[in-house]
Amino acid sequence: MNTLHDTTATRSATLEMSHISKFYAGVAALTDVSVEIRPGEVHAILGENGAGKSTLMNIASGSTPPSAGSILMNGESYDSLTPTLAGTLGVAIVHQHPAVLGDMTVEENLRVALPDSVFADGSNDEVARALLNGVGLDAHLKDRVETLTLAQKHLLEIAKAFARHPRLLILDEPTAPLGREAVDLLFGRVREAVAAGTSVVYITHRLAEVRELADRVTVLRDGRVRGTAVVDEITDDELLALIVGRKLESTFPPKSLLPLDTEVNFDVASISGPGFVDVSIAGRRGEIIGVAGVVGNGQSELLRALAGLENFEGEVSVGGTSYTPRDLLHRAAFMPADRHREGLMMSLSVRENAAVSALKKFTSTYLVSRSKELDAVSTSLTELSVKAPSLDAPVGALSGGNQQKVVISRALLSEPVLLIADEPTQGVDVGARVEIYRILREASESGIPVIIASSDAKELEGLCDRVIVMSRGHVVATLSGDQITEEIIVSAAVSSTTQSIQVGTGKSTVKRSTGVRRFLQGDYAPSALLVAVIILLGAYVLTQNPQYLGSFNIFSMLMTACGLGAIAMGQTIALLLGGIDLSVGPLAGFLVVIASYFINDGASTGTIVLGLALMVVAAIVVGLVNGVLIRYLKFTPIAATLTLYIALGGFAFLLRDTQGGYISTDFVTNLSSTVGPVPVAFIALVVIALVAEYFLRKRRWGWNLRAVGSNEESARSVGVSINRTVILGYILVSLFVFLGAVILMTQIGIGDPAAGPSYTLTSITAVVLGGTSLLGGRGTFIGSLLGAVLLTQVLNATTVLGLGSVFQYVFQGLLILVAAIVYSVARSRKRRAAEQL
Amino acid sequence: MVDALARNAPALTSARFSVSKGLITVGSATVILFLISGVLAPSSISGTSLSGMLPIACVLAVAGLGQMLVVQQGGIDLSVPGMISLTAVIVTHNPDGNDALLLPAIALALVFAVVAGFANGLMIGSLRLNPIIATLGTNALLYGADLAISGGRPRITTKLMQTISGGQTFGIPNAVFFALGVLIVVSVLVKKTVAGRRFEAVGANPEAARAIGLRVRSHQTLAYVWAQLLYCLAGIMIAGITAQPSAFEGDKFLLPSVAVVVLGGTSLLGGRGFPLATLIAAVFLQQLTQFVITLGVSTAIQTLVQAAALAVGVSLYTVNWRAVFARFSRTPSVPPPPTAAPPAPSSLENTTPAAASADAV
Repeated sequence: MNTLHDTTATRSATLEMSHISKFYAGVAALTDVSVEIRPGEVHAILGENGAGKSTLMNIASGSTPPSAGSILMNGESYDSLTPTLAGTLGVAIVHQHPAVLGDMTVEENLRVALPDSVFADGSNDEVARALLNGVGLDAHLKDRVETLTLAQKHLLEIAKAFARHPRLLILDEPTAPLGREAVDLLFGRVREAVAAGTSVVYITHRLAEVRELADRVTVLRDGRVRGTAVVDEITDDELLALIVGRKLESTFPPKSLLPLDTEVNFDVASISGPGFVDVSIAGRRGEIIGVAGVVGNGQSELLRALAGLENFEGEVSVGGTSYTPRDLLHRAAFMPADRHREGLMMSLSVRENAAVSALKKFTSTYLVSRSKELDAVSTSLTELSVKAPSLDAPVGALSGGNQQKVVISRALLSEPVLLIADEPTQGVDVGARVEIYRILREASESGIPVIIASSDAKELEGLCDRVIVMSRGHVVATLSGDQITEEIIVSAAVSSTTQSIQVGTGKSTVKRSTGVRRFLQGDYAPSALLVAVIILLGAYVLTQNPQYLGSFNIFSMLMTACGLGAIAMGQTIALLLGGIDLSVGPLAGFLVVIASYFINDGASTGTIVLGLALMVVAAIVVGLVNGVLIRYLKFTPIAATLTLYIALGGFAFLLRDTQGGYISTDFVTNLSSTVGPVPVAFIALVVIALVAEYFLRKRRWGWNLRAVGSNEESARSVGVSINRTVILGYILVSLFVFLGAVILMTQIGIGDPAAGPSYTLTSITAVVLGGTSLLGGRGTFIGSLLGAVLLTQVLNATTVLGLGSVFQYVFQGLLILVAAIVYSVARSRKRRAAEQL
Repeated sequence: MVDALARNAPALTSARFSVSKGLITVGSATVILFLISGVLAPSSISGTSLSGMLPIACVLAVAGLGQMLVVQQGGIDLSVPGMISLTAVIVTHNPDGNDALLLPAIALALVFAVVAGFANGLMIGSLRLNPIIATLGTNALLYGADLAISGGRPRITTKLMQTISGGQTFGIPNAVFFALGVLIVVSVLVKKTVAGRRFEAVGANPEAARAIGLRVRSHQTLAYVWAQLLYCLAGIMIAGITAQPSAFEGDKFLLPSVAVVVLGGTSLLGGRGFPLATLIAAVFLQQLTQFVITLGVSTAIQTLVQAAALAVGVSLYTVNWRAVFARFSRTPSVPPPPTAAPPAPSSLENTTPAAASADAV
């Protein structure tokens, strides 16, 4: 490694970031940071949480633009990068949270994220297999990523990064979920890549890993570079000194001065839960208890358990009373780290948020008393000096600090037995921090046990009377009194060598999936089920009525299924995208009305072609409008396509207010030609479904489509253009509807403005029967076509068996509900099974 | 210093009555519509015309308020037509003109409503089915019951029924009193009771609601039950208003029930509901129909105006028009360099995911 290092000084740097600054709403995340990454070196970036490490690397990989400074790569200077540009420049990043697409298979995740050139040398399977073997990921290529463990997902991310043969590889805390065996393999791969000339940026909290792997190290603190050194020339103590020692920017309230015999009012005796084991804490009245550690080592899980949001084993008692998780859910007040997701109801007002946990206290007779509520809420908020335009302002419009005070106000108003705060000052400005510290101290003095988790050791040093330090789910140190210093906390956290409690090597714990299981978890299981049901139902009806398989019945059933099937295949695309298209029915009706003006008896071929062309154009315009409303005007898919649903109904009636315009009999006859009893149109549709299926599974178009529906954020980060995919998707929906409309012309035979709308709900029914998920990301065209066939068959059977319309409705309702429940239960069981691994 | 700050902070106030953006929008649109109606087609606001329009608007309002409760929980209910049609059929077929049998018929309809509501609620709240699928299935089953009872043939409403829901009191259609009653009950229950306030909180952010110990599933489930009861009432009303309700009387209320909720300003993503604005939106849509009919233009125009109203209504909430206008008024004077001025779409794209989703309707 040293020899490499010596020769690199003469070559130009792989990446040179000069004077980079980044501000978020005026707050500096990075100030004047300059880093140079040389070819063939492993460059570790060290620093506490919030020091700016991830921000710096997001700038390098193009996902965040810097506020100032420049980036020099390959001899060219850039003000900022985009993910695509960074990709072409040879940057690959492995994020802390894997950006994988759970609904797609392992192989598809590789294909959608990597350029085709990666798969050019050799068969796709072989290349993909080799990529997985390279990182020791022992999963089947056809496994759905949702069923992998967290460690396996991480390995998949790492495999994607290595596959690009990057010039610069950025690894953001890659070892957190991995076991020792996987870590060794990863380090081996990193060394190989480095030997081949790749530069590696390695973000970590662990000094041991820096020693093991890195050539040079840069330490960040408070968004500034504290120093860069060659690893072999700096001691652990020197590194620690660079990491800690942050300037105290807030003042803390004095700590409690308690007589030694103060009662213990909070006692946690050896509790274990998901993500933490054997944690014991005891606190006396008036003490604030801190939970320290590198983010993601079980602190949040511990706090969630204490708040009653996760189950735990062991005993928690407050003031001598023992509490179960269920009690705690109602009696403990929890301040979550992610205020947006689970802290506040952002669209509701300040008053409503503050009052929501204490509403019962504000009632007079049966109703919430306005005056009681206002008195209590405004007193509380004024005490906490919340600054807001008024109590009616939406809480989302407040600054982070004021939002957090509203959370505290809500907690205090509910008179909790326990106050639990996860990162209480995250995203809070300095002034408000001081006040939040004061408020927490006052709550503690009033006798409510206060437990705080923070990744800022300085904060815990200033605030807490007792601190436990966690690493990989275990308590590795319990500190009190003068022991509570940033140095001791950080050193306990970063020097720990405990192993992850969910050791996932990507190998040992997981049984290799069998072919049968993969099929059952795959997208085609519902199709197989449908085929079986179709055959059984057909056989039963045949025993009741021998005319059932008569060629006229077969023909008319398949023709009906054909029209519905084409529309359902369009609907499938909308659902795969995670959306829905309510406008398909009226669009089909509208297109038939257009046709009724052109495709008549005696019309010239030119007129007929013109009519078909106009139908296609109308379909494309409708798809475009749907897509634009959804992507650019931020309509929900329901609102956008509902608008088009109503409008298209209007246009259909505008063209024809009553039925009229018979469709050319020649046209109908041609489209109704058959092979035996089977319509040619149906055979054509099956072929189209198979082709569409091929594109969905094996082509970038299909991967992009399903990636967007599976997880929009992850899709964006693997480089899928969301807007283009969605808008093209909705245009394709409309084109399938055009196909359906052509078939409908033969069945309706006349321009009928009222014929379309019912197809919307029927198409959704067919698609759901086919096993396509309304959550997006998974589904098949074949399934939708089969769903259309089954639906038509059931309706036909009620007629053939003489059951009447009641049964038509009942069967249709039962079919969709049973299918939805079966698929949904099967899926949630699978997911639970995956989580237990 | 901290204490001084606390003392100096101005006391926070709360307005006794707040007027939502949705209420202003839909309210002024309705006023303008009536003004235009008065100028262009005076007969569309005549007494007879209004007494024909208002009852239907009120049925729509009641169904819309039910839909609103479901939408507040981030759901959507497609079983509106099934329940309205079934109720109208039960209260006309079972009594078959005999007033004495009316009450048991209404009780039976209520039983259906409760069962259907719990079926929807449990499938969606507990089994986590998609609301579109679950309510679509329930709707088909309700229509099965509808046809089993009616055989598809209409019967005449009883006299009592016609007097109660189709009649007038002090020259005002009784349906108006029903709708106002429902409006008051829904408003008080949602805005003034502990359960109602929690209900809105659950709708606004189920995860945060769970974190403070609220019973998320119960609230989600009950939304569908309350909604069915309101559809049932709407069915009873329509049975009295139309002398001979068909077996498919509810069909025409499905899409409008969603449209009035959206026009009223309730987000399809859930959260706060706006009952008064929803009711006014129902009057707006129905008067629009009346106006267009009086003008004598084709119903197609009316449908198109409805679609346009919906599009404009939604985009009022989703698009930050102030920012759009600001850029358009700035652009001519200072042509910015191409890098500094992204085209309109991308500037919308750049909103944070949280803000974007909160705004999306």
